[in-house]
Amino acid sequence: MKKYFTLQFKMFHRQLSEWGIEPILAYPLGLSIFILISLQLFNKTQYADVIYIGIALSQIIKSNEEVRNNFLKLTYSLVDYLKLRIIENWIIASPFIIFLIYQENYLFAFILLISCVFSILFVLKSRFNFYLPTPFYKYPFEFTIGFRTNFILYIFAYFLTIMSIVVSNFNLGIFSLIATIIGCTTYFTYSENKFYIWIHSLNPKEFLYAKSKMIVLYTTILCSPILISLSIQFYNKIDIILGIQCLGYLFIYMTMLAKYSIYPEKLNIRFGIVIALTIWLPPILILIIPYLYIESTKKLKELLQ
Amino acid sequence: MITIENLSKSYGDKTVLENITLNLKKGKVYGIVGENGAGKTTLFNCISGLEKHNGTINCEYGIPKTSLGYLQTDPYFFSKITGLEYLKLLSNARNLKPIDFSEKNIFDLPLNEYAIKYSTGMKKKLALTALLFQENKFFILDEPFNGVDIHSNMIITEIILQLKQLEKTILISSHIFSTLNETCDEIFLLKNKTISMQVKKEDFDILENELKEFSIGNRISKLNLK
Repeated sequence: MKKYFTLQFKMFHRQLSEWGIEPILAYPLGLSIFILISLQLFNKTQYADVIYIGIALSQIIKSNEEVRNNFLKLTYSLVDYLKLRIIENWIIASPFIIFLIYQENYLFAFILLISCVFSILFVLKSRFNFYLPTPFYKYPFEFTIGFRTNFILYIFAYFLTIMSIVVSNFNLGIFSLIATIIGCTTYFTYSENKFYIWIHSLNPKEFLYAKSKMIVLYTTILCSPILISLSIQFYNKIDIILGIQCLGYLFIYMTMLAKYSIYPEKLNIRFGIVIALTIWLPPILILIIPYLYIESTKKLKELLQ
Repeated sequence: MITIENLSKSYGDKTVLENITLNLKKGKVYGIVGENGAGKTTLFNCISGLEKHNGTINCEYGIPKTSLGYLQTDPYFFSKITGLEYLKLLSNARNLKPIDFSEKNIFDLPLNEYAIKYSTGMKKKLALTALLFQENKFFILDEPFNGVDIHSNMIITEIILQLKQLEKTILISSHIFSTLNETCDEIFLLKNKTISMQVKKEDFDILENELKEFSIGNRISKLNLK
């Protein structure tokens, strides 16, 4: 069992290295961010402890995936399997439990501790044949997959748009628009398998052009309920609404270029910093986009002739 | 005709393929056999252009990939994409006119379910279906029979024979000798990083016996089974 956990840590460190973060820096950095967010949550929200337990359990439940659990059951004896899964859940929940104890919320800390044991009884089955239809059938795959993964985000964003109109709060409406654009941006942070680039009968420039057309078309489809509602309700601020939308296209386009500029490597922390810098100072996009475009065409040339 | 001359591939200091030379003609089916790890998939990746290599490939259709249907041994599928969307993605990639996929769903695949949830054989059949829509002239089928049920195996065999009649060039790898025996005109043995043997249809029996002799030998007796 010790070897299993050693291997899990090794795999986690490899994942961190792939993201461009040194494991020795990742732990203090991650812990600081975790404490900061937890403090904010408990200072500003009434039901922080319930939300906190919800977040912790959602992380624990992720490890209950059926195929993974079947593998563990086949590999270890029943007793070792149960021990291993409980310890695994405790490791995941430990930062949450420690913070709840720090908050002197012993009841919730105890509930979480016990939940780690009982949650192993619920193995997540993936046998549902249900699929979520999307308006993106014509050009799979980024928006098709992204929409299915993040659809709750869009329900939330559209709800905020309605609220912004009801309470006449323009900033809230803009926040819902930005949240939708960020959602679309995340679709282009994932590097697809080589085969899915290779199959195209396009040269790199045509390939990037086809991607950019898709970005504009599908982002507009996702944002249009927000854009139309906000433009009618806050018509005197239409310049701001359209300005943010156009910047959104550029951010998504830049992220797509960033992905292909280092392909097949995955986007790492360095690109995270560059993206954060462009959000802080958008005019930098004028320099970064052409640079990433040239780098992307070079990389894509290897697969698209 | 596709001519492969002196194709070599190395990963760092490790040479995987060395001076592979093949002439693949129209309307012919070629098989490749070799042990696991012999380099069959690497060879296919090199021919397709997925991997860089040394040596030259001349294809009368132009760049091989534009007329190549490549069935990978373990096709990759995105996590939340349906069978129908996969077919659409591959036909888009070749700028094909809209196709009624459900009508041509010869393997009766559940096209409205996520492809990632398909069984191994179903995934293979979906990937093969997508290639057949693309009207390719050259096919590389890396273990097309692997994991596929017996009925679909018969359909795949028939498809290969029909593609042959349509003057397509087909290169297959398989670990099931009978399937190669049924479909191929010529078989290449990939061994020690190169094509060590090239056998015509009339000599397939000799090849099979040699493979048995080489593969089995006295290995099983070493197990000392009781």
